[in-house]
Amino acid sequence: MINLIVIVISAVMLALLLVWWRWPAFRVWIEAPKYSMLRQERRFDNQLKGTSTGNELFVDGGYA
Amino acid sequence: MTTFAQNLPSHNEGVNSQNLGALPSIEYDLIRAHVFAALVTLVISVLFGILVATKFTFPEFLGGHGWLTWGRLRYNHTQGIFFGWLGNAFLAFFYYVVPRLANRPVLSRKLGWFLFWIWNFAVVLPGWVLVAAGFSQPLEWAEFPLVVDAFVVLAFILMVFEFVLPFLKAQLSDLYVSAWYIIGGIIFTMLAYPVGNLVPELIPGARGAAFSGLWIHDAVGLFVTPFAAAIAYYVIPATTRRAIFSHFLSMVGFWLLFFTYPLNGTHHYVYSAIPMAAQKGAIVASVYLGIAVILVVTNWLLSLRGSSGTVSKDVPLRFVWFGGVSYLLVSLQGSVQALMPVNRFIHFTDWVIGHSHFAMIGFASFMALGGIAHLWQRIPGTRYNERMMNWSFWLLAAGVTLMVADLTIAGLVEAQVWQSSAPWIDSVRAVGSYWLVRTLSGLPLLVGFVLFWISLVTGPRLSEAVTSASTAAVSENVVAFDNASPASDQFSSTGWLSYAHVVAFGAGVGFFALSFLVLAILPGKELEDEIKQVAPVTMPTLTASEQRGRVIYGREGCAYCHTQQIRSLAADVRRFGAPTEAWETKYDYPQLWGTRRIGPDLSREFNLRPRDWQLTHLYDPRLVVRDSVMPPYPWLFDGNPNQPTQEGLDVLAYIQSLGRARQLSGFDRQTLAASMQSETPEMSMASEPSARATPPGVPLAMMGGYSLSAPVLRPASDPDDLQEEVSRGGTLFAANCASCHGSAGRGDGKASASLLPKPANLTAARFSDERLSSVLWNGVAGSAMPPWRQLPAEDLRALVAYIHTLHVPSAVTSTPEAASFNVGKFLFASSCASCHGDTGAGNGPAAGALAPSPTNFHLKRPTQERAWDVLENGVPGTAMPPWQGQLSADERRALVEFVRSLYRTPQENSAQ
Repeated sequence: MINLIVIVISAVMLALLLVWWRWPAFRVWIEAPKYSMLRQERRFDNQLKGTSTGNELFVDGGYA
Repeated sequence: MTTFAQNLPSHNEGVNSQNLGALPSIEYDLIRAHVFAALVTLVISVLFGILVATKFTFPEFLGGHGWLTWGRLRYNHTQGIFFGWLGNAFLAFFYYVVPRLANRPVLSRKLGWFLFWIWNFAVVLPGWVLVAAGFSQPLEWAEFPLVVDAFVVLAFILMVFEFVLPFLKAQLSDLYVSAWYIIGGIIFTMLAYPVGNLVPELIPGARGAAFSGLWIHDAVGLFVTPFAAAIAYYVIPATTRRAIFSHFLSMVGFWLLFFTYPLNGTHHYVYSAIPMAAQKGAIVASVYLGIAVILVVTNWLLSLRGSSGTVSKDVPLRFVWFGGVSYLLVSLQGSVQALMPVNRFIHFTDWVIGHSHFAMIGFASFMALGGIAHLWQRIPGTRYNERMMNWSFWLLAAGVTLMVADLTIAGLVEAQVWQSSAPWIDSVRAVGSYWLVRTLSGLPLLVGFVLFWISLVTGPRLSEAVTSASTAAVSENVVAFDNASPASDQFSSTGWLSYAHVVAFGAGVGFFALSFLVLAILPGKELEDEIKQVAPVTMPTLTASEQRGRVIYGREGCAYCHTQQIRSLAADVRRFGAPTEAWETKYDYPQLWGTRRIGPDLSREFNLRPRDWQLTHLYDPRLVVRDSVMPPYPWLFDGNPNQPTQEGLDVLAYIQSLGRARQLSGFDRQTLAASMQSETPEMSMASEPSARATPPGVPLAMMGGYSLSAPVLRPASDPDDLQEEVSRGGTLFAANCASCHGSAGRGDGKASASLLPKPANLTAARFSDERLSSVLWNGVAGSAMPPWRQLPAEDLRALVAYIHTLHVPSAVTSTPEAASFNVGKFLFASSCASCHGDTGAGNGPAAGALAPSPTNFHLKRPTQERAWDVLENGVPGTAMPPWQGQLSADERRALVEFVRSLYRTPQENSAQ
């Protein structure tokens, strides 16, 4: 049973790595949340500043 | 990741068309309320901890009242940190971060306040009061009583509505990893909590321990770790203004943690009666977990690459960085200490206590502090005092480093002593200074936490506050990804992987269920079958008094210092007896195996020590064991150890029942016989015992504390060597014997008032080497004198040499006349021989039924005064009656002279 669990976990992780390596669109999809998190953070920061609704674009080096 | 993002196809349309709508509201009042509650309960819990630590050095400190006893304070310390501090800190962070991640407000403000009141005024506060008042359950990380547990489960159900529902309503396809950790932590803890807290009350002994082990690790793995990790994954990018290194790796880490954490539980019971397959599975999972943590922390550290300046300047981020590094170290430590070769050595020692403090302070608390400090800078009207916050960080970092290093070394010292055959109390003595340092290391922690609190309330006012976050730079990879976002949008809306979250969540629940199946249910079934086959048909249950005593034993936290679990290890078996088997625990609701030893294991207490010793020890342990750090329990007595209350008698009954079933079953007689055969050379009467007198493989407890024969320990014949032996014997006597026999050996030590029969007055008789050797080796059955054969032979010999020097010869010396001698001889034959034997060798017809045995006058020559006193008053607590009424003064005087004449020189005894 223990061997089975180890094999299953290892296989799942290897499969994920394989998908990540072979499928660029997966990479884009799986990495998207880390950017949307920052986008949300910016919106709340701007609200705290009281200057906008936070829907502005990011630009290099700061907020628009 | 910059390279990866920059290589994405550019689609500049799309971002402009994104409309994220109005910002969700955030419940700032609830954040402030939970932060305040977190810090109040943190300071109180740390004070509990410092009191607990202080009692290791000053066991009497605040020891007069049950509410302030070590065990109850210890329960409240850990539960306060768990629910009060970390629970409130995490809830504060949820209110800050869930609206940001879900782009929706939490479900309800009213529900939030209801949850706040439930958490603090139906869980933490009543939990503390009930534990202090003696209502608790003796299960690690589950000490609050069941009535409080019901509110904990209710609170987690409310958390699902308050924090998980917004994510489900938002139907976000790109859920950030912090959200995953929050959702996973809430749901899995809600599922695991009842199993860990309720099931051991329903399933006894070893089978229940399998479930307890799961919860011990789930409390850390499913509650503390996910929420702390959620903080790290949020604070790092929010502070550096750069996306984390890899969201893919973060999700791999997330699922690995949730797959492997629940499978770790049984590594708390390695070498126990739980089936070996479950133990090995937990060990493998522990190693796997170490790999997962390397992945997670590597991702954090890579996310901080190039941000060393920010880490050093931004105190919240520095807290998180410290927490991350601690997480890596403590997890690797955990993986290593689960391995059998390490576990056999360090388990039950302070090493493990250092490990848990490293996890709960170095990792979890630093993360929680970082999260609170981070949000405090970003909610309206609050800013922290940076200087104070800096001081807080360095004090806390110094405090936890000192504490963990100290406890780790203390654990190694304890382990070393436990591997030897030195008396248990030697391990207590050896780490006394480490316990003092541990207490002192708590002070910078307390001050650091208080400064953290002060920094929150002494920061610049809102008008002065700098919204530093809004002026920070955003890295170019965010711009690049925003430009490329249609690709991900298209993928997530059309690809089959849009269902991956559901599949993964199902897998998580599956693994959670699997952990219970593999580590608890299947081993439990195996144990059940084993118990049915092996358990004696007539196995005695506990009496009503013993059962009540068991409840008190649990209430006072005895199981947190004394295990009832002898592991299948030579060091354990040699010291405590045969390994604990599952059937012995079939009536233990809940199990009291314990995971820590400060005092010795108590599994084999049956017939080991007499009643008056146990009661005196309970009343004030230092009366009988000078260097003990056990707390006193005066509330179990009416003013002195001779007057136990019903509760005191109940505890005594329970302790004296431990191991009864095993001994009565006859299981160990076969084992003992086999051991005796294989160990015959060492067990026989030997004039020169081995360097370590304890015969390997034949533990004291297996024979109720009494062996069949003793070696003769003769002091050195060379005067210089003898002098050295006497000197060392004096030191040993002061450390081990003086509490009962008194510093001068007159039998008037502090414990003597409550012991019956009284400790021997060693000044009032001349003892032969044989007699002293026998007593030191075997103890004295029927008295509080325990066997001391666990001491090295050279120590026992030194004690013999020293005790000889205590003898004070009679002040009056007289030579008996022949007529008087004959009268004495006649009286002895008619009145004393039935017990003391015809020749005075203590082997009369009645002797076999008496404990203590009648005096053997060949080996002990009392002074005239002592013999006279015994004949006048008898020996209370023994079968020796007063003879004042039956014999005249002349007759008694004749008897005194006769029995003194029976003593034989060592040469005569040897010849005999």
